[in-house]
Amino acid sequence: MEAKVLKMLVPMALEGLKATLGVFAVTLIVSLPLSVVVAKLRLSKNKVISKIIGIYIYIMRGTPLLLQLMFIFFGYYQVPYIGYAFSREQAIFIAFVLNYTAYFAEIFRGGINSIDVGQYEAAMVLGLSKTHTFMKIILPQVIKTVLPSVGNEVITLVKDTSLIYILGASDILKAARAVSNVYAAFTPYIYIGVVYLIITAVLTRMLDKIESKYNYYR
Amino acid sequence: MVLAVENLSKSFGKNLVFSNVSFSVNKGEIVCIRGKSGEGKTTLLRCLTGLETADKGSIKINNMYLCKEEDNRIQYAQKEKLQAIRQEIGLVFQSFNLFPHMNVLENLMEAPLFLKNDSYDNIRKRAEELLNRLELEGKESSYPYQLSGGQKQRVAIARACMLNPSILCFDEPTSALDEQTRDQISKIIRDLASRGIAIIIVTHDNAFVDEIAQRIITMKDGKITIE
Repeated sequence: MEAKVLKMLVPMALEGLKATLGVFAVTLIVSLPLSVVVAKLRLSKNKVISKIIGIYIYIMRGTPLLLQLMFIFFGYYQVPYIGYAFSREQAIFIAFVLNYTAYFAEIFRGGINSIDVGQYEAAMVLGLSKTHTFMKIILPQVIKTVLPSVGNEVITLVKDTSLIYILGASDILKAARAVSNVYAAFTPYIYIGVVYLIITAVLTRMLDKIESKYNYYR
Repeated sequence: MVLAVENLSKSFGKNLVFSNVSFSVNKGEIVCIRGKSGEGKTTLLRCLTGLETADKGSIKINNMYLCKEEDNRIQYAQKEKLQAIRQEIGLVFQSFNLFPHMNVLENLMEAPLFLKNDSYDNIRKRAEELLNRLELEGKESSYPYQLSGGQKQRVAIARACMLNPSILCFDEPTSALDEQTRDQISKIIRDLASRGIAIIIVTHDNAFVDEIAQRIITMKDGKITIE
C-alpha cells in the first residue's frame, strides 16, 4: 500500500515542488529589493506618499493572504475602469509579491530607523551623496539588523505557498491531498510535512550562514 | 583668514541658541570654543559644518560662502558648491561616528573615492601615510569595534584629513579619553595646526583649553566673548 502511495505521490510532489519553489523564489527576488524602496517611501517627508504607502501596508497586513489571492484572481476584473483579468500565475505572483513586500517593508523601515543619526551626519560632512550614503553606509547596516526578522518571514513564505491551492494551482500540499483521497491514507501528508521540514532546514542553514557572514563587525 | 563668521544667529523654535555671533579663524590657528552645557557650542559647530542651518548671518570658508544674507533672508550655497565647501571643513564627532561595517582603511578611503579627487592608488597611499603619522600602522584592516577610544578618535581625525580640509573642527575631543591619550590628541592637533590647518575645538574641558588654545571664544547666554 505504502509503495503505491509513494509511486503516485513522488511525481506529483515533484511537480508541486516546482510550483512551491517557483512562488517562493519569485516572491523573494522581487519583494526584497522592492520592500527597501517601499520602506524609503514610507519614511518619505512627503506626507501624501507616506500615507498612501501606509494604507497599502495596512491593507496587506490587515487582510489574509488567502483573501488577497482570491480578490486578485476572482474579484479584480470586476472592479470598474481599472479591472483586469489576471491569469492564475499572474494572480499568484502579484498577491504574494504585494503581500510580502508590505511585511518586508515594515521590517526594513524599523531597520532604517534603528541606524544612528550620526552615521548620516558623518556621511554628510564627508560630502557623500544621499544615494551613496544610503546604499553604502546605511543599507549594509540595516541588512545586518533585519536579517533575523527577514529570516522568519522567509520561512513563513515557504509555508504560505501552500495557499495557492485556492486558485486551483498544484503545489506539494495539493499533491498530498490528491494521493490521500485516492488511497484514503494520511501518510502522504506526513511525507509532504517532511519535505517542508527539509526545505526549512536548508533555508535555516542558509540564513544562519548569511547572518554569520555579517558577524565580522559589531 | 580661512573662516569668517558674521552676525550668525540660530534658534530652535522660540528658543534662541545664539545671536549675532561674529569671529574669524586664521590658517594654522587653534581656537577653542568653551562654555557650559547647553550654551550652544555644539550647535555653532554644527552650523559651521553645515549640519544645522543658521537663521541669520553669514559663514565664509576659504572665500566661499556656505551661507550669506541676501534681502534679509539667509541663502545657502547650491549643491555643487556646497560639496566643495564641505571638503574644506572637516569634523571629528564626539562619538567619532566611524562606519562600523568598514575597516579603518575603508573608513578613510570611502569619501575621497566617492568624490573621485584622486586615483585609487594615490588615495590608498595617502590613507596609509596618514595612519602611520597618527601611529595607527597595522590597524588598516581592523574594524571600529576592535579599537580603543583613542584609536577610534585618531581614525576619525585621519578620515577627516583625507579630504585635505582647511579647517578641522573637534566636538569635545577629550570627553572620553584618559590623560595619556589626551596628551597624544593634543600633540596631533598641534601637528595639524603646524601644517596650516585651522583648528576649532568645542569643549568644556578648561584645562585642555588652557593647554592648547591660541584664542578662546566663550559662549554664554547666546553671546560670545573672544580672549
